[in-house]
Amino acid sequence: MADDALFDFLHMEIVSHVTKSDAGLLQDGDEAMSKLEQIGYSTGYRFIERLTKDLSRFKDELEVMKAICKDFWSAVFKKQVDNLRTNHQGVYVLQDNKFRFLASISNSRQYLELAPKYLVFTCGLLRGALASLGLTCIVTAEVTTMPACKFQVHLQRA
Amino acid sequence: MARPGARVADSKKINSELFTLTYGALVSQLLKDYENAEDVNRQLDRMGYNIGVRIIEDFLARTSTARCTDMRDTAEKIQSAFKMYLGVNPTVTSWSPASDEFSLLFDQNPMTEFVELPDSCLSLKYCNLFCGIIRGACEMVQLEVTSWFVQDSLKGDPTTELRVKFVKKLEDAMPAGED
Amino acid sequence: MTIHNLYMFDRHGVLMYYGEWNRKRQSGMTIEEEAKLMYGMLYSIKNFVNKMSPVDVREGFQCYRTSKYALNYFETPSGVKFVMNTDLHSQGVRELLQQINSQIYIEYCVKNPAYKSGETIQCELFKTKLDELVKQSPIFKS
Repeated sequence: MADDALFDFLHMEIVSHVTKSDAGLLQDGDEAMSKLEQIGYSTGYRFIERLTKDLSRFKDELEVMKAICKDFWSAVFKKQVDNLRTNHQGVYVLQDNKFRFLASISNSRQYLELAPKYLVFTCGLLRGALASLGLTCIVTAEVTTMPACKFQVHLQRA
Repeated sequence: MARPGARVADSKKINSELFTLTYGALVSQLLKDYENAEDVNRQLDRMGYNIGVRIIEDFLARTSTARCTDMRDTAEKIQSAFKMYLGVNPTVTSWSPASDEFSLLFDQNPMTEFVELPDSCLSLKYCNLFCGIIRGACEMVQLEVTSWFVQDSLKGDPTTELRVKFVKKLEDAMPAGED
Repeated sequence: MTIHNLYMFDRHGVLMYYGEWNRKRQSGMTIEEEAKLMYGMLYSIKNFVNKMSPVDVREGFQCYRTSKYALNYFETPSGVKFVMNTDLHSQGVRELLQQINSQIYIEYCVKNPAYKSGETIQCELFKTKLDELVKQSPIFKS
C-alpha cells in the first residue's frame, strides 16, 4: 500500500537524520541510538493505546506478548512475528524472518554493519508499547543474516 | 486475530495513525535538540526534501504518470499524492493570475490529530515536512518550486493552507564533455 | 528471444548499473566508455526525435532496430533511464523495463537506505532480484 511507503521513507529519514550531525559527520553512537529509541518509545506508547482501546485487559504477560506478536506487529509491519520463544522467566525472543525495515537493504551479510540502526526505533516501539500495557522491560535486537532479526525483551519484575 | 473487537479500525486509519504518531515523536525530539523553532522548521524541510526525492519514484511508478504539462497538472498530481499517501484530500485553490502559484487547503489534517502546540512553539511550522517533500519531489521531475505554510489550524487559523510557487523549469543533464 | 544487456543511467547521466546476459560480442571499449557513448547518443536522439516529430510527441524515443538487434529505451519522468538490447523477436521489453523500475530499482535502491543517489549500484540484493526477474521473463531464452 502506498501509505506504507511513506512510513518507510519517514523511518529511513529519521534514522539518517539522527545518526548524522549538521556537518554530515556521524554522531556519537550511543546518543544517536538513544534518541532513535526514544522516538520509537513515544510512538509505541501512544500507538498501542490506539490499537487496543477496545480490548479487555489481558490475562497475563504471555497474552500481552502474543498480542504484540500478532496484532501490534501486523499493524506496524504488515506481518506477524514468525517465532516467539520464552524462558518463562521474563525473557521473550521475537523473531521476524523478513523484517520490514531490513527487507530492502540486503538478504546476505552485505551492509550488516548498517543493520543495528534500523532496529533501534523498533526496540523503542516495543518498549513503549509494553510500558503502556504496564510492563517495564529492556529490549535489545540482533541480526545475523538480513532481512531476519530477533528482538529480545527482558521484562523487569518489581 | 481471535479476539473480537481487536480490529479496532481499518488498516488505512491505523497506518495513518502510526505515521502521525511517529512524526509527532520526531518533532518533539527535534524540539529538544534544537534551541529555536526556526531550526526545527529547517530540519523538517530538509528531511522532507530527502523523502521527496525518493518517494517521487514510487509515486511515478504507481501512477504511470507522465511529466507535468503545466502547473495545473502539477497541482492535481500533488493533490492525488496526498490522497494516496495520507488519505487526505486537500482542495486546490487561490491560483495566481499567471497560474504559477496555488494553494492546497486542508480541512482535515490527520497529521495534527493528536497535536497541541504549547505557546513556546508559536513559530514552529509543524507540518513543514510537506514543504520539503513537495520541493524534493518536484525537483526530480525538473520543476523548481518553493512551498510554505500560509495558514495553520494548529495556531488558531480557520484552516491549514499550503502555498506552492513555480520557480523555473530545470534542464535535463547534458552528456559529459559537451558544451 | 534473447536479452543481451542492460544499461541504467540516473538523471545526471551517471551509469548506475550495467548487466549482461547473452552478450555475444564485446565493443572493445571499457564499460565506462561505452556508457559515455550510449548516454551521448541517447541525449542526441531524444532531442532529435522531439525536434523533428511531425506530430505531438508523447513518449518520444523508444527503440531502434538493426538487422541483428534492437535497442529498447524506457525513461521515467524523473529521468532514470533504462536501455536494454535484445534480439529482434523480443516483445514486451518496455513492460519488462517498467517492471525493473517498479519492482527492482524502487524496492531495492530507492527504498534502500544503503543506496545513495548518484552512486553506482553496489547492492547485492538489487543484483540478485534483477537477475531473477530477467531470467523469469519470457523474453529471456539463452
